Amino acid sequence: MRFNLAAAAALFLTLGLVLLGAQGSPAQDAAAQAPPIKIGLMGPITGPWASEGQDMEKVVNLMAEEINRNDGVNGAKVVIHSADDGGAPKTATLAAQQLIAENVVGVVGTYGSSVTEATQYIYDEAGIIQVATGSTSVRLTEKGLTRFFRTCPRDDEQGKILAQNVKGLGFKKAAIVHDNTSYAKGLADEADALFKTSGVETVSFEAITPGDRDFTATLTKLKTQNPDVIVFTGYYPEAALILRQKKEMAWDIAMIGGDATNNVALVESAGPAAAEGYYFVSPPGPSDIKGEQAAKLLDAYQKKHDVLPSSVWAILAGDAFGVLVEAVKNTGPDPAKMADFLHKDLTGYVGLTGPISFNEKGDRIGEVYRLYQVDAKGDFILK
Amino acid sequence: MEFFLQQFTNGLTVGAIYALIALGYTMVYGVMKLINFAHGELFTLGAFIGYALLVTFGITGRVGLGLGLAISVVLVAGLVGVAGHVLERVAYRPLRHSDRLAAVVSALGASIFLQNAIMLSWGANYRSYSADLLPSVSVSIFGQSFPLLKILIFLTAVVVMLALWLFVHRTRIGMAIRAAAIDQGAAKLMGIDVSSVIAVVFVIGPALGGIAGLIVGLCYGQINFGMGQLYGLKAFTAAIIGGIGNIQGAMVGGLLLGLVEALGAAYISVAWKDALTFVVLIMILVVRPTGLLPERVAEKL
Repeated sequence: MRFNLAAAAALFLTLGLVLLGAQGSPAQDAAAQAPPIKIGLMGPITGPWASEGQDMEKVVNLMAEEINRNDGVNGAKVVIHSADDGGAPKTATLAAQQLIAENVVGVVGTYGSSVTEATQYIYDEAGIIQVATGSTSVRLTEKGLTRFFRTCPRDDEQGKILAQNVKGLGFKKAAIVHDNTSYAKGLADEADALFKTSGVETVSFEAITPGDRDFTATLTKLKTQNPDVIVFTGYYPEAALILRQKKEMAWDIAMIGGDATNNVALVESAGPAAAEGYYFVSPPGPSDIKGEQAAKLLDAYQKKHDVLPSSVWAILAGDAFGVLVEAVKNTGPDPAKMADFLHKDLTGYVGLTGPISFNEKGDRIGEVYRLYQVDAKGDFILK
Repeated sequence: MEFFLQQFTNGLTVGAIYALIALGYTMVYGVMKLINFAHGELFTLGAFIGYALLVTFGITGRVGLGLGLAISVVLVAGLVGVAGHVLERVAYRPLRHSDRLAAVVSALGASIFLQNAIMLSWGANYRSYSADLLPSVSVSIFGQSFPLLKILIFLTAVVVMLALWLFVHRTRIGMAIRAAAIDQGAAKLMGIDVSSVIAVVFVIGPALGGIAGLIVGLCYGQINFGMGQLYGLKAFTAAIIGGIGNIQGAMVGGLLLGLVEALGAAYISVAWKDALTFVVLIMILVVRPTGLLPERVAEKL
């Protein structure tokens, strides 16, 4: 009896809501009537890269709020569905299934290449567009997936710029250190191959364990091989520890890294004295991005959260969101048409990090990498 | 030789930290036959309380370097000890008479809870102890220069471990702990308050872990909410290598693990360092299934 009572109550409630909804409608504006555009955000909200994921979420939410305040997209509100990939492939597959179940048209994210890779086919089978934001591993766009895009550049371009700069700065003997993630290993291999052709000798090719705190054993060993530069292709937490520990060892050697070390936490962790002189290649960071849109967004971000995003990846998540919205605006919320539009017709669109268009593989067109060096105050100076 | 000495000291520093954390695992296991999976998070908590005192509050700037550090060590040990005690009351005591598996699940839950609680209170970003917190001084031994900090870490760990050994073997409470470790039922019949023995163990173990967290913060400068996982795993391995339940075993296991890592990285391969660690663990367990210094029933703990 109790069950029936509950069912009856639910029925009445539903009926009541429907009636109420029907009565209230004439006064409401068009935006509330059109079904909302659901866009997914998959990012590392928890886990080792949680700060990146939380920044991604903040940027995308901020942009969505702005759009909804200005009457939405073609009269429809944008709703963000967030899912936490935990920075781990295993968690990411669950996050992807969750977003698919929520019927999103496209997904922004994610940061780590190995994490994105775990979800690519899941989204593809569901027919959903995925726009990765920090996943630079080359092979992600070599699989022939028609609904995969990324707003970040690729590691082969990064490797090229990295190798050019190592040579350009006059280094002859490089010790390459990576951390066995698909991003870091890929970039290390890329750089190593290019060194061979450009006359830089690789004296050491080593892998460290991400999450370790003590790299003195590794550094002591590298020192015996007499390199004149350490090429570190991993992420900023380990880069900071290596910088600090080589300083403590009083080993005065240059170090250059990839775009995963472009995070202000690097200097905080290492201390400006140890970080001074460190080079890295990266797309321009939040404070070097020119343009009205970026300035407006960063201003709003600063007002709301008191700080700027700590890296460029959150901004690229904003760009991923931006191109998805642009596609919906032009074709309606149909993933097949949207993908077609992004491949062929996205021209003259200016995102936060400059003009964005995609080639047939879904890669962003144009060179974006720059060389940075940390100065004595710990600021990142564009070279 | 110079290279070997350098790597040997690198290994001893890392090993001393593993040993300090391993003591917490081994003490709890000795008395309760329970692996406290939340121990790694208590270690993290120590690092963050140290951060709050030394960086946020700037205690060394207010009362001077020596006194500030001393107060930090005492406060970190005390507060993490209290946290350990609360953890025992909330997560383990209600399950003391239920299935052992239930306690293990509760331990894992406590670990996840603590890790996320730390993330929510201090944020997901990496936090740093500023590099100029401690003066960097090097001392010269055998014509080699070693950072004073590392030697101090090693000495601190040794002193703490000796004090613990004396506490367990030369005091009445220590005797009660040993008795409870051998047989809780019999200890109760002899008039020992086993509940308070467990409470004491759950204060001392976490306090040592907290101090290890503070040391990691001071030594490496970089802390984050997930740091307890890797250290917890390594220290747990160290406790097993040494023979879990045995205090001397935890010290030996920790130092050995640190040395294997450093020398493995030096002479074999940096990438294979961790694999090597676990190969050593497996080899030791094959030859001595109870660890290097197994708990002897008469002298357990």
